[in-house]
Amino acid sequence: MIASLTALPTVFSIGLQRQFAYRWNYLLRALFSAMPLLVSWVFWGAVFHGKETVGPYTLASLLTYYAVLLVVESVSSPADDDFQISREIREGTLNSILLRPLPYGLYRGTLFLAGRCAYLVAALIPVALCFYLLSQVVSLQLGTLDLARGIPALLGSALLQFSLTLCLSFTSFWLLDISALIFLVYSMEFLAGGHVFPLDLLPPSLFQIAQFLPFAYEYWFPAASLCGYLSHSAWQFGLAMQLGWALVFLILAHLLWKAGLRKYTAAGG
Amino acid sequence: MRPLFHLLRLWLIQLRYAATRELAFRANFFVWIIVELSWFALQLAFVDVVYHHVDSIAGWSRPQMIVLVATNQLIQQIFTAFLMPGLMKLPESVRDGKLDFVLLKPAPPQFLISTSHLEIGPVANALIAALVVGYALQELHVKPDLPSLFLYCLLILAGLLTHYALLLTLVSLTFWIVQAESVLLGYYSIFQVARIPREATTGWFRFIFTFALPLLLVANIPAATLLHGFQPGPLLLFLLTCLTAALFASLFFQLGLRRYQSASS
Repeated sequence: MIASLTALPTVFSIGLQRQFAYRWNYLLRALFSAMPLLVSWVFWGAVFHGKETVGPYTLASLLTYYAVLLVVESVSSPADDDFQISREIREGTLNSILLRPLPYGLYRGTLFLAGRCAYLVAALIPVALCFYLLSQVVSLQLGTLDLARGIPALLGSALLQFSLTLCLSFTSFWLLDISALIFLVYSMEFLAGGHVFPLDLLPPSLFQIAQFLPFAYEYWFPAASLCGYLSHSAWQFGLAMQLGWALVFLILAHLLWKAGLRKYTAAGG
Repeated sequence: MRPLFHLLRLWLIQLRYAATRELAFRANFFVWIIVELSWFALQLAFVDVVYHHVDSIAGWSRPQMIVLVATNQLIQQIFTAFLMPGLMKLPESVRDGKLDFVLLKPAPPQFLISTSHLEIGPVANALIAALVVGYALQELHVKPDLPSLFLYCLLILAGLLTHYALLLTLVSLTFWIVQAESVLLGYYSIFQVARIPREATTGWFRFIFTFALPLLLVANIPAATLLHGFQPGPLLLFLLTCLTAALFASLFFQLGLRRYQSASS
């Protein structure tokens, strides 16, 4: 196990090279990811017309949330790791990885890390540009940013999203095509994860329910923590829920992997 | 006129072939209906959450907004059923050289690529979107007359043409960029604009998304026609801009095609 760890820097380097081979794809992705922010600015501008606040938000605090969400997405969202893993299982290229003296989860985790680093570099300029342009039209509340609470929540979100990705991908041992399942979970992440709107805009009873689901800790919790919108007790509760869900998915992924390998048939030369 | 009939016949043959292929995976068909419905539910939930806090957005009430969102869904689902699947295969065909087989056939490549695949699930979702439009109109006590309904259908076609123009332009980037899978993300990101009421926009945003990329017209004009009746100015503007966009997209595709070098051995 310890010996296999020495291979991780090489895996990370290969992951980076693989990502930068398609740098245009990355740049396009980063550019397009700024589009929802533009739409939010226009749409919420109309919603706030003649109103100081909507729920607990002013226009400036809401747009700060959406801008910070861009950063959260860059750091913690897997790109196409789920489809890559699924392809490896389906097409049998998993064979060559199984032969290596490296735990698959660790191997995938290193590639995920490399992917996030590459994407962060590609997204840095477009995201910075978004912040600059938005700050020209709205006074973003960047003074309240809380890095001490935000960074742990951000890293927890990356761990949670990665563990959920592993669980979804490992269903490929049983299912021929998992894209429908992935898109179904995406839609839940968008709605119950606070991607489309901050969850505290929901009616109170629905907000309560959302706080017990894992999706809230993928986007809403890290973004709200970074923005400094959460009380200390709410942050502690959120972090505990986030890590708890990540642990649940990691255990589930481990069980799926074990069961899947028993079913897996390595065919072909 | 004869070439047009020839293309129509070809399209019907392609449709029949694609439908047979689709029906081989019946479970997939139902699963995708659920997936697409969940995305539509997400949009409606967003409308509900916003109108939980306000009564009107840029003069649009909640049921009017539902007409707008459901009209957008209707157009998008028809597009996803008939034209999008073929276009989305283009980057892969360029990368692995399978485009050669399309170019060898005695029919326009753009036509063959656009109509080569079909998804049946979105047709069911388009019907559900139409039902939601009907429900919202009933809530508004609006009964559109026959000419308005006819115009609505015509404008749906114009909306489809706009979707087609944008996605064709985006996938044509594949002739310059090897891996252009991000175009799907780009397509969905840009088309979020279509769900905004046009009256909510001003300045350069309104100008760009009306004249350069007529996304603010795609669902707004059909929805406004249903809600308020025939408005000649916006209607003509929409028809003109969507035709221009389609023409530009087609030229861009032809330009890209000239760069194509087969990847096969």
